Amino acid sequence: MTIHAAPPVRLTPTDWRSSKMTSRIARRYAAERRFRLLGLGAVALATGFLAFLLIHMMSNGISGLNWTFLSQSDATDPAQVGIWGAFKGSLLTMVVTLVLSFPVGVLAALYLEEYAPRNRWTDLIEVSINNLAAVPSIIFGLLGLAIFLNTFHLPRSAPLVGGLTLALMTMPVIVIAGRNAIKAVPPSIRDAALGVGASPVQVVFHHVLPLALPGILTGTIIGMARALGETAPLLMIGMRAFIATPPGGVTDPATVLPVQIFLWSDEVSQGFVEKTSAAIIVLLAFLLAMNGLAIYLRNKFEKRW
Amino acid sequence: MFLMIAVMAFAAWLIGRSRARGFSSTSLRPTALPSHYATFLALCTAGPAALFAAIWPFLSDTLVSRAIMGLPVAQKLPSAAIDRGAILSEARGLADGTVEAAFNPLSYELAEPIAELSRQYALIGTGLLVALAAIGFSIGFLKLKPAFRARQRVEAVVMLCLMLASLVALATTFGIVASLIFEAGRFFSMVPATEFLFGTHWAPTGEVIAGQDNGFGAVPLFWGTIFIGAIIAMIVAVPLGVMVAIYLTQYAPSAVRAWLKPALEMLAGVPTVVYGYFAALTLGPVIREWALWLGMENPTSESALTAGLVMGVMIIPLISSMADDSIAAVPQSMRDGSLAMGATTSETIKRVLIPAALPGVVGGVLLAVSRAIGETMIVVMAAGLAANLTLNPLSSVTTVTTQIVQLLTGDQEFDSAKTLAAFALGLVLFIVTLLLNIFALRIVKKYREAYD
Repeated sequence: MTIHAAPPVRLTPTDWRSSKMTSRIARRYAAERRFRLLGLGAVALATGFLAFLLIHMMSNGISGLNWTFLSQSDATDPAQVGIWGAFKGSLLTMVVTLVLSFPVGVLAALYLEEYAPRNRWTDLIEVSINNLAAVPSIIFGLLGLAIFLNTFHLPRSAPLVGGLTLALMTMPVIVIAGRNAIKAVPPSIRDAALGVGASPVQVVFHHVLPLALPGILTGTIIGMARALGETAPLLMIGMRAFIATPPGGVTDPATVLPVQIFLWSDEVSQGFVEKTSAAIIVLLAFLLAMNGLAIYLRNKFEKRW
Repeated sequence: MFLMIAVMAFAAWLIGRSRARGFSSTSLRPTALPSHYATFLALCTAGPAALFAAIWPFLSDTLVSRAIMGLPVAQKLPSAAIDRGAILSEARGLADGTVEAAFNPLSYELAEPIAELSRQYALIGTGLLVALAAIGFSIGFLKLKPAFRARQRVEAVVMLCLMLASLVALATTFGIVASLIFEAGRFFSMVPATEFLFGTHWAPTGEVIAGQDNGFGAVPLFWGTIFIGAIIAMIVAVPLGVMVAIYLTQYAPSAVRAWLKPALEMLAGVPTVVYGYFAALTLGPVIREWALWLGMENPTSESALTAGLVMGVMIIPLISSMADDSIAAVPQSMRDGSLAMGATTSETIKRVLIPAALPGVVGGVLLAVSRAIGETMIVVMAAGLAANLTLNPLSSVTTVTTQIVQLLTGDQEFDSAKTLAAFALGLVLFIVTLLLNIFALRIVKKYREAYD
């Protein structure tokens, strides 16, 4: 068997100035530009939609914003309706949510991040928190209906039940944000505190928690903003009643801003279009303020260790 | 009651602290800080009292109703349990002042003794509360000595609280699963599971006749959910989301990125009811005109396309942030290698970055699908109620979440098959989203490990 030598490869330097090559490069650069434009187009489409949505709501609703609208409650006549009742309901619901979910969320985050032994129970808790954060909100509404209303017989349509339901929904968000904030505190702080004789509980409550608090607060505000805009679980527990007087306490029947928007959007009367948009403006203003506060906190207190 | 406990606890704290401060004058060196002793004393005072205050309302309710049954007035009550309960609750409302006027004249007669009894038991409860607090306080106070290790006791209580807090999440998960399975089980005892899962006729009624088609076939609902959430919305959101992520990470100057990222976060933060309103009132009519122009007869403004498009826009930030993360996780050396071979940026992205980041992107898309099929308000407001099995995006379809809202906001007889069907739908939704999430997280995790 004879081995044939491979024919020698003729290497000629590429002639970049040839028309074939220049057109090829031009084609590739054109593809590059097209791709870049496509990306820009996608961004423009997404932000353009947001801008259109905001401007559309503004132009529809700005004329409906007046003192009557801000100080009155729901009514059958669109000229007389107001947002105050729903706003107060939202406020009470949010207070219940915050009071329940913030301490529980922070304590759970501290436990899981600082003390929890690595065992099956801890894994189970972690898995359930991560899954709860992704469970559709309407499922929490079903839970509230089955447990709080039908088992414990708490009052229907009340901010108390709404707040309880939303607290269960918000807590995993706070736990996850809290754990990340606690993780970001460098171990040297803990070692130093332990070194001068602090007990594990003192280390956490005197040093780790204060340092992690800005991060936890940011996560809490974002979670609360999400809870404020939530509608579906509150429909499940009956916070969709016609409420003509603002609620006086957490057990009175009430409705909340997003549900009020939903209820008005179903009205046939033309006057409600303006009022719905005005309510949306109020809701978005609050959400924007909350998110802005969260971003401000994050930028101001974010520490690079 | 709880205010009273707080005041007593604070008083105990102050007493404990002043007592512990006195320790420093003795020769023995105290084993804990004064605040530890103080907190221990406060816990001793408030702990048992708070526990009592939590169970007392239930206990006193039972005691009051038992006492009423022993009264001579109660002999007049009808023997049927339902009527009796109605009158009693009415009378109780009168006694509290929450009910202005009662239907049944007997309620007025009962209201007075009930109010009297409630007052008595409230007094008894308060007395017991104070007694418990006093006992706790004295036991705790006797233990306060310099050698007493108050810090360890207090910290044990703190650890217990931490553990209980972390168990709340577990309890919630358990509560969801238990309530869904329990109510769905009651539903499946009325309607066979095969009819529910494989039937194609959805027109639920309150009455269920065994062995007959009762209109509980949920296949059109499942199809509508998949059609809107997993097909139309993803056709909108996946290309846009991935392109947004590519543009933001690869092309945009950092000043532009600093503005665009919060804008995208805002897009994710807009409440879904606002999207739903926009879809129903602004986009819906436009799509309807369009369908008319295409030659469709009787087009509806509540179409699958309307809901799917808006939902797609809502999902864009989620997909773009997931894609962003996975592109950022591709090692820089791979990008540098490709660029060094002479590839343009777009060629690097298309041939190197996207294939390398693909598992992460797929994981993100699965998470987005799970978000989309659980989304409620957009479909409630924009997708309609007609349970159609159709491929036409311009016709109206209904989804699982829409029907849950529909079934539970109408009549409120809790035991009818209609309301229980909502829990069966919820169970299906929960299981599907759970599986999608677990699967997606596993893909993302595996992919992260590949490059770490």
